[in-house]
Amino acid sequence: MAEVADPVAAEAALLERLRAGDEAAFDALVARHYATMLAVAQTYVKGRAVAEEVVQEAWLGVINGLDRFQGRSSLKTWILSILVNQAKTRGAREARSVPFASLVPEGEEPAVQADRFRGPDESYAGHWRAFPGDWGRSAAAAVQDRETVRVVMAAIADLPAAQQTVIRMRDVEGYSAEEVCTALDVSEGNQRVLLHRARSRVRAALEGHFDD
Amino acid sequence: MTESDERITCQELTELTNDYIEGTLPSHEMALFEQHLNFCDGCDWYVDQMRATIATVGRIEPEEVPPDIRDKLLAAFRDRNRS
Repeated sequence: MAEVADPVAAEAALLERLRAGDEAAFDALVARHYATMLAVAQTYVKGRAVAEEVVQEAWLGVINGLDRFQGRSSLKTWILSILVNQAKTRGAREARSVPFASLVPEGEEPAVQADRFRGPDESYAGHWRAFPGDWGRSAAAAVQDRETVRVVMAAIADLPAAQQTVIRMRDVEGYSAEEVCTALDVSEGNQRVLLHRARSRVRAALEGHFDD
Repeated sequence: MTESDERITCQELTELTNDYIEGTLPSHEMALFEQHLNFCDGCDWYVDQMRATIATVGRIEPEEVPPDIRDKLLAAFRDRNRS
């Protein structure tokens, strides 16, 4: 997500609007973060309904805390920390939190299908059989295309839950790797593998789209 | 990266690409990665594809908030302003 030229000033202005009771600003803020919050909540509690409740409780916490927020972290980091606290409390209370293992990447998953490369018995083993297309070059224009964004959204919807959450947080919402690790309680290494797999799968979907 | 002549294959490069973009590749692997890119257009395009993919993901609009939840939250926000 592109940030405004001066993100600090933009954030201060947003906070001021929220404190002044600007409903449109609040509505936009909720719209911006809702999906990610729901995804994060679902890594702590079971079921969409409970996760939705957790997200609502977190927003109530945000509303009540607006005047106390010191701006030591970014607004979105603060909102996320409230959500995670809420989700952890709820998960513990209900004793039906999702097992941590579901966030650990399982098995092997190549970035690119192995048959795209020359086999171990061939000359130039491990090199491309046929080069990938050069659509990434012209993508500045291509990514603006609505159909392309639709392909990407469908690919993300097909990802395993943990990969989906990580790619949303990193590439849609712009959280840092560190913030993702803290929010999801995953190691830096696991965050990296999940992101790598998610981006690789989405790239493969885009390749299918552009090579058609 | 077990090859004695210290080169990585295209296949190995694709497994390192995300760490390369993330800036988390150790310096030795980084050097091998860039050396490979210098002579391999296919991998250069592959890295471009990954960057384009990330840019496209960044253009996704967030999922819509269910109307009943949106209404409830807006009401709570309004209450705050009254108190």
